[in-house]
Amino acid sequence: MPSSSDQRLIATSLPSDTQLRVIFAVVVMLVVALAATAPYAGRPTDGTEIFLPAYAAAVLVIETTTAALLFATFRVQRSVSLLVLASGYLLSAALAVPWALTFPGVFSTLGFDQNLQATAWIAAARRIGFAAAVVGFALCDPRWTVRSPSRWISASVGGLVAGAGLVLWFALTVTPDLPAFMADARTTAPAWAYVPPLALLLYAVGMVVLLRGRRSTLDIWMSVALLSLFVEILLISYMGAAVRLSVGWWSGRFFGLVAAGTILLVLLAETTGSYARLVQVAINERRARRDRLTAMEALSASIAHEINQPLASMVTNANAGLRWLSRAEPQTGEAEAALKRIVDDGHRADKIVSGIRTMFLKGAQERVAVDLKCVIDEALGRSASERALAAVEVETVYPPEVKMVICNPIQLLQVVSNLIDNAVDAMKAGGGRVRRLTISIEDGEPGEVEAAFADTGPGVSPDIADRIFLPFVSTKPDGMGMGLMFCRSVIEAHGGRLWIAANAPTGAVFRFSLPASTVVEESNKVGVHP
Amino acid sequence: MSDDPVVYVIDDDPAIRVSLESLLASVGYAVRTFASAEDFLAAEQADAPACLVLDVRLKGRSGLEFQRELARRGQSPPIVFVTGHGDVPMSVAAMKAGAVEFLTKPFRDQDLLDAVHEGIERHRREREQASAMGQILGLYETLSPRERQVAALVASGLMNKQVADRLGLSEVTVKVHRAQIMHKLQARTLADLIRITDRLGITLVQD
Repeated sequence: MPSSSDQRLIATSLPSDTQLRVIFAVVVMLVVALAATAPYAGRPTDGTEIFLPAYAAAVLVIETTTAALLFATFRVQRSVSLLVLASGYLLSAALAVPWALTFPGVFSTLGFDQNLQATAWIAAARRIGFAAAVVGFALCDPRWTVRSPSRWISASVGGLVAGAGLVLWFALTVTPDLPAFMADARTTAPAWAYVPPLALLLYAVGMVVLLRGRRSTLDIWMSVALLSLFVEILLISYMGAAVRLSVGWWSGRFFGLVAAGTILLVLLAETTGSYARLVQVAINERRARRDRLTAMEALSASIAHEINQPLASMVTNANAGLRWLSRAEPQTGEAEAALKRIVDDGHRADKIVSGIRTMFLKGAQERVAVDLKCVIDEALGRSASERALAAVEVETVYPPEVKMVICNPIQLLQVVSNLIDNAVDAMKAGGGRVRRLTISIEDGEPGEVEAAFADTGPGVSPDIADRIFLPFVSTKPDGMGMGLMFCRSVIEAHGGRLWIAANAPTGAVFRFSLPASTVVEESNKVGVHP
Repeated sequence: MSDDPVVYVIDDDPAIRVSLESLLASVGYAVRTFASAEDFLAAEQADAPACLVLDVRLKGRSGLEFQRELARRGQSPPIVFVTGHGDVPMSVAAMKAGAVEFLTKPFRDQDLLDAVHEGIERHRREREQASAMGQILGLYETLSPRERQVAALVASGLMNKQVADRLGLSEVTVKVHRAQIMHKLQARTLADLIRITDRLGITLVQD
């Protein structure tokens, strides 16, 4: 499904120089930390179990927040790669709790630490699961999107909670029968030796794929995250001699935590900044729309005034004529003069109307063959930010072949923009749960192409539906009732039709038909840019 | 001084001007039309009851502004406003400043004719009052200073005897003055006298 790419989000934007400097600083910090702690890494530290719950809590908070931010970005962008990454973070966060609860000598009163192997199995699942998620994120094409992100988020969160439960059950009940990871509460058994290399391998693969692609700022940050995990494993498993609670074990975790915290802060700052920019753009879009409406308002006021003068004159003349005739001695000469003036007034009014029409529809005669799909995509691009804020999903159903229509591209773009704006407004006002605009191009009557704009708003009640294309009829609180009138007159001027139907189960469908062009041109983008 | 009413029409749209002229002429009014406020001011106004039909939106200035200017000059016939785009604040301002009516184009002919009729009647009354005032003032000026003193005191409700005491005159002299005053002011009763002094704003001057 095509989806308008948004350059303003961290998952799509490229890093700025400042960001690159921060990234570099974090990397240097990690390497320095590795070098500084390496000589002391093997020293054991006794009685530091009490710090473990604090560490686990910090990990839980940082990783759930990161996951939430990524899920939120996914909701807007709908890219599967983001969903995978967010799931990795959530899994890691969910497993941090049982990891701490089963850690030997920490929550002894709860009795979860009876099974010596459980903690190590959970740790292994956490490491490998997260690394696999990052690799999955790196390998996914970001253009691969899904239709209803909310449903995917619910499914992922549900699946992850169930998965974490399964891991916990497995770790507590099955593991005693499998090869032992731990020799005692502190030192690892030979079987554990396979886990760190596997994790390191996955981290390395992830880093290479991410740095080769460098699709966005987020990619770079994720490779930094992988580097920090890489360093963490080096410190914990190799320099810390794979002994729990050694200096290397703790410092690896500490630096990993700092790196994760930094990444979270960057994500937060980026997201907040992007949101502010998005709002700004949406405000600009709305302002442009309002200016358009104000111009239309001014135009209609001046039309009203211009027409009113000859109209007033006609009424007065007609009254004068009647009064001349109803006098005791009817004055036919005066009445005739009044009638002649009425004729003049009528011609004058006609001149005003045709003058406005020429001005209004200037260039309307320039008709070219245009790919309808291009016009719709262009209109969608113009209101992308406002739709993102209103959380309106757009689904486009285009036929495989190109549908060319004969039209004035600028006017058709205005019509399509108007129909999209109306749909978004209706769904915003309606407060429905699902806000989806489905735009489809279909075959109409022979020689015609049809486009349908189906929304899931409250719909248009039948008593208004008959009048909705008349001027000054609007269902919006601040609507002028000019938009649909304009749309219909433009479509009809092109030899097409515009009508409304009800959408099931709720909403409205606006549909227009236009004469199809038999010429299929190679250049599809004929002057859509006014 | 003529009594045949005149209607002045000021509108910058020639078609509206002609149609209004025809409508007003069809019911027998003498009509004079002007394209602008300046043309109207430059023309000599007839000494007759009149009414002004004025478009709110005139070339170069607003009708409301022109209304204020005419009021300052103190010679304005009543104004009937017609407008293509009347809003409530505008009509309120016009009515507060003394307009007869505020009509939106296109208006019902009867509404306009009623308004014009009312304006002319109002102007006629104003003119009559002004001329009656001038008459009274002329009569009052024929009184001697002593008679004016007596008139003020009598009008304030004093008896002849009291007036005589105040002015150090005999009662008989006061009676003579009083008869003269009544004669000169063409007042038949004491009530007439009081009404006249009232309109002239004469009050008792304490000395």
